[in-house]
Amino acid sequence: MQDFEDFVALRSQALLRTAYLLCGGDKSAAEDILQDVLMGMYGKWRRIRTSPEAYARAALANAAANRWRRRSRKPEAPMEHAETPLAGGHEQQVVDADSVVRALAQLPSRMRVVLVLRYFDDLTEADTARALGCGVGTVKSQTSRGLARLRELMGEQVLTWS
Amino acid sequence: MELKSAMEAATADLDVRPGFVGDVMAGGRRRHTRRLVALTAAVALLAGVTTGVVLTDSSSVPAVAADARLTATTEGDLSGDRAFISEAQALWGRSKSAGLRPYDNVTEFTGPSNVFWAANTPSGPAALLAQAVRVGDDPSPRVLVGLVAGGGVVQRELDRGQESGLYRFGPDSSTYLALGLGGKVFWSVNPVRGPDNRLSRTWREAETGPGGVAVVTARQSERPVFVRADNPPLPQDFGSEPLRGRFAWRPDTAFVPHPGLGWSGRQCASDSPVEGPGWPAEKAPSPRGDLHQRGLLDYVVDWDATGEWSVCAWLPDGRYAEVFEAFGELYGALYEPSGSFSAPLLGGKAVKGTPVVVPLPDGQGTIVADFDGRIGPQERIHAWLAPAGTKDVMVRHGDVSSVVPLS
Repeated sequence: MQDFEDFVALRSQALLRTAYLLCGGDKSAAEDILQDVLMGMYGKWRRIRTSPEAYARAALANAAANRWRRRSRKPEAPMEHAETPLAGGHEQQVVDADSVVRALAQLPSRMRVVLVLRYFDDLTEADTARALGCGVGTVKSQTSRGLARLRELMGEQVLTWS
Repeated sequence: MELKSAMEAATADLDVRPGFVGDVMAGGRRRHTRRLVALTAAVALLAGVTTGVVLTDSSSVPAVAADARLTATTEGDLSGDRAFISEAQALWGRSKSAGLRPYDNVTEFTGPSNVFWAANTPSGPAALLAQAVRVGDDPSPRVLVGLVAGGGVVQRELDRGQESGLYRFGPDSSTYLALGLGGKVFWSVNPVRGPDNRLSRTWREAETGPGGVAVVTARQSERPVFVRADNPPLPQDFGSEPLRGRFAWRPDTAFVPHPGLGWSGRQCASDSPVEGPGWPAEKAPSPRGDLHQRGLLDYVVDWDATGEWSVCAWLPDGRYAEVFEAFGELYGALYEPSGSFSAPLLGGKAVKGTPVVVPLPDGQGTIVADFDGRIGPQERIHAWLAPAGTKDVMVRHGDVSSVVPLS
């Protein structure tokens, strides 16, 4: 299992960053789901060792979506910064890093997952669809609607997508 | 600000907590064991029910770890130096966490330490010790083996089923202790690349002295590799499993800089074909393994021997390319749409601060990569597959642009 340990040691930081965005900026939750996903990979390593990163990202995306589903069933307080006002208008020319996370936290989970996989992890539409077990058309529509929603939340002047 | 840049900025300071890797390993093992136990119990119960056999407890669980090194007489030319042996034991006992990784989770040192080897080496006197320990809530004792040299504990290795038995120390990390562990250890330095680009290595046996310990001197720049085998590997056989002591592993601390060019992640120089036959391939590409098996990439032993980045590209003729960094040089491989290996790529030196340029064969263009840079006429970020015939490429970082010649 040396190569699994190497994978965990080498890629945990990058995967944690993905998990953090998927969890809408909740670092504890990001560490929890990452640890859970990696622990689950231990027993499956022989089967998935040829493409562990793709497996991990797909599992993280699904774990984050499930987490949100569980949260939505409970009458739970929103995340501490989810309702914080975002960019202060066109006069604000610089987007502070946290505002992206705050905006992501306000998106529906599947929409957020699609944006993170597409724009942070640079997955193609096809790879994103494969990771989430949905069609490319769904990825396209979620991407389009997600970007539009982010624009509403953050202000078109301060965020571009290219 | 771009969405990706904003996301990267929001996560730039994130790293896993110290000990995270160990928690994953320990938790993964526990979960896997529980699953196996549950499965075994279910099978056994089913077997008992169907055959009428009554299951009884086994009473043959060993009470202590049976490792001769826990009680062996000290070997080596310092075996009679009681002062040195006592000092080694004192150092070992004083700094119990030294040389261990946080997730080794040693909770108890259950017996006295034993110096089973003590000798003079090119880097001064050194001692190897063994001690029984308990790990987490595991009821069975384990054996902890380690090296004391230079006035402290250099390294400890917990028995986790496959002991490397390789230690490195000294002012320039050039002294190796290789434990025979009942077999032979072979070592090799300075791989030679032949005219066909294939590497070869000359192997020699590490001569073990008293206590089954071999002392070997090799500079890191010579790329020493150790294997445990019955016979020496053939010069062009790169299929052996190298020994990797603790020194070869990535430090388990936060914010370890990325090695080599300092990049991280996988970026693509061209878009994947959304439709069309043959991709994704049935077999995932493994360029490092494929090049190593063919003797084109040397043994990667130390964690920082390779970069943490790769660049992929789908080529005009349907093939797929992947480029990465190892030993300060650029390597890559081409794959057929089926996933089968097509051809190797050897791209020359990787120079920090300079874009990576890897020409592809068969008129497939040139991969140009510079993470966070904007490349080519479309200003593609990170990497771009320049079409065949492109003479030069513009690379922009913020307001600073430079022209990179491709020929």
